[in-house]
Amino acid sequence: MNIYEAVITGPFRIFYEKVIQFLPNFITSIFILIVGIALGFLLKNILSWLFRAIGLDKASERSGAVELLKKGGVTEPFSKLLSRIIGWITVIIFAGISMSALQIPSVETLFERFLLYLPNMFIAFLIILFGYLLGNFFGRAALIASVNAGVRFSNLIGKVVKYLILILSATMALEQLGIGKETIVIAFAIIFGGIVLALAIAFGLGGRDLAKDYLDKKIKCEEKKDEINHL
Amino acid sequence: MTNSIFRKEIQERIGEIKEADILVGIPSYNNARTIGHVVRAVQAGFAKYFPDKKCVLVNSDGGSTDNTMEIVRETAIEDFESVLIRHKLDMFKLATPYHGIPGKGSAFRTIFEIADALSVKGCAVVDSDLRSITPEWVELLLKPVIESDFDYVAPLYHRHKYDGTITNSIVYPLTRALYGKRIRQPIGGDFGFSGRLAKFYLTKDVWETDVARFGIDIWMTTTAIANNFKVCQSFLGAKIHDPKDPGADLSAMLYQVVSATFDLMETYAYLWKNIKASDPVPAFGFQYAVGLEPVSVNLDRMLERFRLGARELKDIWKEILPQEIISFLDNAAGLKKEDFNIPAEVWVEIIYGFAVAAHKKKMNREHLLKSLTPLYIGRTASFVIEAWNSDAQEVEKKIERLCMVFEEKKTILIERWD
Repeated sequence: MNIYEAVITGPFRIFYEKVIQFLPNFITSIFILIVGIALGFLLKNILSWLFRAIGLDKASERSGAVELLKKGGVTEPFSKLLSRIIGWITVIIFAGISMSALQIPSVETLFERFLLYLPNMFIAFLIILFGYLLGNFFGRAALIASVNAGVRFSNLIGKVVKYLILILSATMALEQLGIGKETIVIAFAIIFGGIVLALAIAFGLGGRDLAKDYLDKKIKCEEKKDEINHL
Repeated sequence: MTNSIFRKEIQERIGEIKEADILVGIPSYNNARTIGHVVRAVQAGFAKYFPDKKCVLVNSDGGSTDNTMEIVRETAIEDFESVLIRHKLDMFKLATPYHGIPGKGSAFRTIFEIADALSVKGCAVVDSDLRSITPEWVELLLKPVIESDFDYVAPLYHRHKYDGTITNSIVYPLTRALYGKRIRQPIGGDFGFSGRLAKFYLTKDVWETDVARFGIDIWMTTTAIANNFKVCQSFLGAKIHDPKDPGADLSAMLYQVVSATFDLMETYAYLWKNIKASDPVPAFGFQYAVGLEPVSVNLDRMLERFRLGARELKDIWKEILPQEIISFLDNAAGLKKEDFNIPAEVWVEIIYGFAVAAHKKKMNREHLLKSLTPLYIGRTASFVIEAWNSDAQEVEKKIERLCMVFEEKKTILIERWD
């Protein structure tokens, strides 16, 4: 009898008691999650309507945000995108709260660590975003300035400027996330130094004749100048 | 409106002069080589044509390091008998560095402020690098203001057919189509205006924009037209400048002028949308043919710059211009020198396309307008080829035709603008 109880019914009873003990937390957790999903859905629709009503799409078009998104392959209207992001953030927050409601220590610790890590992720996201914006801006500025200066490899200059800024911002973002801190900085320094050295060698060897021709033209004034007064 | 602060000695000098009838301003920056001639011409103009008026000459300098201001102070006409009918002169001279953003517009602002402080009736500004200025310019720029009650006198010059290409291909036709006044040299640089208009200019808060730089000329002209001031033109003869490297910062110059023009389109959109055609404005002065110095043009380099732009900036232009124009430019880039042509119709579409893109803020303003440079060079090359064997009259006809296309296609601009 004792053996039967100890081996068969005992564990079941304990399991049953634990389930009974856990069930309210589980139901609360599910309830919170459902409320979160419903709230996220509702918020998404309300905000989408509100953003459209206040003319956010036109404003974002004027500010250049739409151009940026299009370049990133996002074709949705800005109002829809923003309301969707807010909706998902609501769902994620409620999912976190619902997991806490389960009162499982390991899940609670995991959630706590995730919450503490969130600011780093947010800052890294901002760094990448600004890096992308600045990379495009300065890349285009360098391209136009080079074309107007008559540089034949303007496209290359524009791309070098753009990608250097993107690499720099990616390095900073990874450093912020704490991923391979020293390794990334060293790798970036090596890549950057390598590019500069490669360019110096390439120009030094490959551009020797070009530089000679250019200086010859400038010093000897061989190139016929325009005397047009544009204004 | 915040006044730029005069130096103490200038304030004292203004206090001494108290009031004046006419003022001529000369903006300068390192013009020691030519400013002496300009000052002498202005002084002679005062003495010859305004002997009974109280005259003031103002040099507004941008921090020259070549003694420009000293030359202005020391320059005087030694032999008055050679230029004067009557030897009587009530003339004052002021040379002062200006404050604010370095540029022609800031120099003009100081001139307007001194004109306002002295309550002058008529005012004129002339460039400091002019080699062709004569005393008659002072009369021609000021008499319509003093005697005929005009508020703004734009210059009319004879220029070489390849000179003033920003004026001929963009600013003149566009200003004429927009505001309906045929002012041939809206950014000529030498203008006459009333004291009333100088005061009006000072009420505008534009001195931190491109107006403070090369944008000042088009701003003065457009502001005068758009605010119903009485406008006319005066024929001054030939315009010959001190030689300089004109290609040095073409891109920045083009950006400042076009940006100021597009800003004015925003300000006066309510006005230009309702203007359908253009009218001539009264012209003063006796028109005569003048000999002009030849202008050297490197056509191969111009075409090379256009082709480079067509290859590298195509993606940017696609965001601004219609597909058929992009295809046309693509095709034009592959043409030989003798076949190369950007016709008036395409050029007008390009300028209107850039104006609409600037209005709709399709991209950063500086990127947008600086990407226009290779297109402008291409159009200039096309014009040089087209006018290779043309005389001044034929060239003027070609410019007139371009103006008509700008006016005909204005409806497209209005449709795309809203």
